[in-house]
Amino acid sequence: MTDLSTATPVATAKKPAQKKMKTSVFFSWSSTFKHAVLILGALIMLYPVLWMVVSSLRPNDAIFGDPTLVLRTFKVDNYVNGWNALTQPFGHYLINSVIVVIGCIVGNLVACSLAAYAFSRLNFRGKRWWFGIMLVTIMIPIHVIIVPQYIMFSKIGWVNTFLPLIVPKLLATDAFFVFLMVQFIRGIPRELDEAARIDGAGHFRIFTQIILPLMVPALGTTTVFTFIWTWNDFFSQLIYLTKPENYTSSLALRSFVDAQSATDWGAVFAMSVISLVPVFLVFLFGQRFLLKGIATTGGK
Amino acid sequence: MFSKKNLFRGGGAVAAAAAMALGLAACGGSSSTDAKKLSTDPVTITVDFWGGDARVQATQKVIDAFEKEHSNITVTPQYADWNGYWDQLATSTAAGTMPDVVQMDELYLASYAGKGALLDLGTTNLDTSKVDEAVLDTGKVDGKLYAMPTGVGVYSVVANADLFKKYGVALPDDDTWTWDDYAKIANELTQKSGGKIHGSDQMGGFDAGSVKYWARQDGGEVFGDGNKVTLNPDSLAKMWQYELDLQKSGGMWSPANITESFNAGTSANGLATSKVAMSTQYNTQLTAFEAANKSHFVLLKLPEPQGIHPNSYKPAMYWTVSSTSKHPAEAAEFANFLVNDPEAAKIIGTDRGVPANPDSQKAIEPTLTSADKAAIAYAKRVTPGQAPLVTPNGASTIEAILQRYTQDVFAGKQTPQDAANAFIKELQGEIDAAQ
Amino acid sequence: MSVVSELRDLKNAGKSRGDGKAAFWFLLPWFIGLFAVTAGPMLVSLGLSFTKYNLLQAPQFNGLENFKRMLGDERLLHSLGVTFLYVIVSVPLQLAFALALAVLLDRGVKGLSFYRSVYYLPSLIGGSVAIAVLWRVVFGADGIFNQFLGIFGIHGQGWISSPNTAIWTLIALNVWTFGAPMVIFLAGLRQIPVSLYEAASMDGAGKWRQFRSVTLPMLSPIIFFNLVLQIIHSFQSFTQAFVVSGGTGGPADSTLLFSLYLYQRGFRNFDMGYASALAWLLVLIIGAFTAVNFWASKYWVFYDD
Repeated sequence: MTDLSTATPVATAKKPAQKKMKTSVFFSWSSTFKHAVLILGALIMLYPVLWMVVSSLRPNDAIFGDPTLVLRTFKVDNYVNGWNALTQPFGHYLINSVIVVIGCIVGNLVACSLAAYAFSRLNFRGKRWWFGIMLVTIMIPIHVIIVPQYIMFSKIGWVNTFLPLIVPKLLATDAFFVFLMVQFIRGIPRELDEAARIDGAGHFRIFTQIILPLMVPALGTTTVFTFIWTWNDFFSQLIYLTKPENYTSSLALRSFVDAQSATDWGAVFAMSVISLVPVFLVFLFGQRFLLKGIATTGGK
Repeated sequence: MFSKKNLFRGGGAVAAAAAMALGLAACGGSSSTDAKKLSTDPVTITVDFWGGDARVQATQKVIDAFEKEHSNITVTPQYADWNGYWDQLATSTAAGTMPDVVQMDELYLASYAGKGALLDLGTTNLDTSKVDEAVLDTGKVDGKLYAMPTGVGVYSVVANADLFKKYGVALPDDDTWTWDDYAKIANELTQKSGGKIHGSDQMGGFDAGSVKYWARQDGGEVFGDGNKVTLNPDSLAKMWQYELDLQKSGGMWSPANITESFNAGTSANGLATSKVAMSTQYNTQLTAFEAANKSHFVLLKLPEPQGIHPNSYKPAMYWTVSSTSKHPAEAAEFANFLVNDPEAAKIIGTDRGVPANPDSQKAIEPTLTSADKAAIAYAKRVTPGQAPLVTPNGASTIEAILQRYTQDVFAGKQTPQDAANAFIKELQGEIDAAQ
Repeated sequence: MSVVSELRDLKNAGKSRGDGKAAFWFLLPWFIGLFAVTAGPMLVSLGLSFTKYNLLQAPQFNGLENFKRMLGDERLLHSLGVTFLYVIVSVPLQLAFALALAVLLDRGVKGLSFYRSVYYLPSLIGGSVAIAVLWRVVFGADGIFNQFLGIFGIHGQGWISSPNTAIWTLIALNVWTFGAPMVIFLAGLRQIPVSLYEAASMDGAGKWRQFRSVTLPMLSPIIFFNLVLQIIHSFQSFTQAFVVSGGTGGPADSTLLFSLYLYQRGFRNFDMGYASALAWLLVLIIGAFTAVNFWASKYWVFYDD
């Protein structure tokens, strides 16, 4: 059985399908059925998003009367207005978001993988206890530690910069991902480590040359999750970014909405669509890299 | 190296240092600089406010005009949306970095003033002589002026005149009508439209102004001296019962619609989407309705009992100066510019309420929109009663508490009388806990 | 954690004391972060829970007052009820959808990348301000959902504005954003060696049997991870409730998730001492759930090492 594992995942994936020759009719029915279910599911899932896209192409007074997806108008005014509505063009805030997100992703990838290696592969006194502490740090709500944190950052002059949002990630404060990576690393057989150690590799070599490459899916999901949470996280961004030119896109969107005066919902939707499109495309094309199969773990 | 002892030692040291920093930071002592003397050195001050992009652009223009007149003062603007504003302000005040000039709302004024965060404007050169004493009183806490009102709004009924015409209902004579008349008209509108629209959205229970109005109709007040809630529960219960009855007779739409309309905000609520014909709002919000809905809206006085004036001036917002500001004189100078300078008045228009300064009112007359003119004309027709006390320290969540009870009453979970009593008890509890 | 790995740990503990130095360097960023950024503020907040602190003035020590107050706080009790309902219903549902879609979209369907991106998209706007409107458009009294029900002649109510049903719209929102755990499951599925499936189907196991005997056990560390983390995350859920209810937790406190109540007390009532005490109550609750999870994992999680 072991020699089959050297074939690529894609090829071996097709084999079980081809083996079921006698059920080929069943297979194609099940495939159409699958597609139908998936498409229907996708439509239901996406209806609110599609409505938002369609509404962004309608004038403001036509938006709220109409919950349908019918494209009666195709006005790009909302996009133009929304882009220019705030003191900076909306792209400026998108770039701020991108800076923060990339900083957080890099921070998490580097620091959390290092910590995860220690917790899963190394043995040291008090390991269980430190792991427990790490879990506890996940459990405390941000709203009560943000005031002491803010005071601390304000004393060192970091308020109103991106630093309070990014630097903690470089210090592995997103313990979620340490935990995630620990779970992944535990799925990697220790024999590979031991083989490398016999060859004279120290821990750092094992980490970078054996563990990291095999952890790509975990790194990928860390990237995905960090992206979502940072992109949507408005509370810490609100508290730390006090000058509007540093606002991220989620803060900028909120500043469109004013309960006491007229809100330009068309512009909000247009800018939300603009915030979504690049992310969607990145995810669409980045998936292959994200979910690369691990052929060698089949070597059992 | 990782012994528990070391951890505790290290952690304890950090915690102690942090707690001390917390204590030190929050010390809202007054700055030692003279609040009347302008410096000749270059100075930078920050101004913080909430609002949409129209206000942001306007305020920037005012800043430019001010900086031209005072070449050594640089003003940096800071702004956020309504909700985020209060979170940012509380956090920065906790850290001792409150901005110099701060836009303030009536609900939070006593909280900030009562805790020493605001500067007594009487110690500055801010010119308060032009503004009516009654309006100025709305910014006083414990007799001292902590907040300068920018403008006032007056409670009103906003009616969609086009819908009235469409369904053949006559607009009422708002000098003589009663709440019974209001109900009759609302019912008529719903009936004649065959249920396509409803006569009225909620007219009480979601904002503090409604409670104040119904309390004063009966000759009482919501707040009294000594941080007491003096609201008579019967007045509040009467308001709720009126609404329940109106919902039953069809003049007012369902609680579900009411909640959605309220959450939707001014641009998408029942009035803005022409689903209801009447609702209570502040006269200054007329501009927002006209922007969201092309119909013709009129401002009507609320029904008033004979000889009583339940309405009052509500300060739209205020300008305050932080007590920890390093440049109080310059900050007060900028606040002064905002409320007294005719050029600033022209730029701001009625965005922060109908200006409290009558000179500013005159200065903006040529730039007024039809909605502005209607709002000002309406304000002239209303005779306000005595100004109510500023919402006391601890009662800043009065609207959130009120909304909760209103929704309970509308859902039939509590009777109006029980809810009114419970509301008063809870509100008094919050005030007492904050002292 | 399997018995085998426990014993191995014990064995190695004696052998490689030298790991301590390596551990120090690997964990250095985390240690710095822990002491400078996390532990300090956490300890301060623990200290604050024994004080009366209104943010604008220095904290005043008040002993166990805050904790005594919790016992009589009706809104707290109500909020706990709402939060428990939210967690217990939405987490299993969310994970079930995530797992089902991950298995469906693992291989064997054309246009996989596209479908995955589509099902992932809702997670990207789940916390945005636009959701407040979108959710009202779907679940409002005149919303799409009611129009859909209308096709079958069912007259729906205002789901999002009625105190009895508002929390269910939030649960739906949490389940709708299953894209993130789905991606984790997808990655986990990729790690399962295909040879195991082949061996199983050689032995005559059908798709469902393969799922139960190969997929589930091999995926169990990931399921466990998702379960623990989604429970923690859902207990702390704030943004969605804040955006949909306009910060009120309404109507009538029906969507007052614990974090939202905590936020209101801290930032709106200027009651940060009490809010800190509430935060530590949440830590205890989440800690209890997590401990139970870890203990129960002995019985169903299968580690390969």
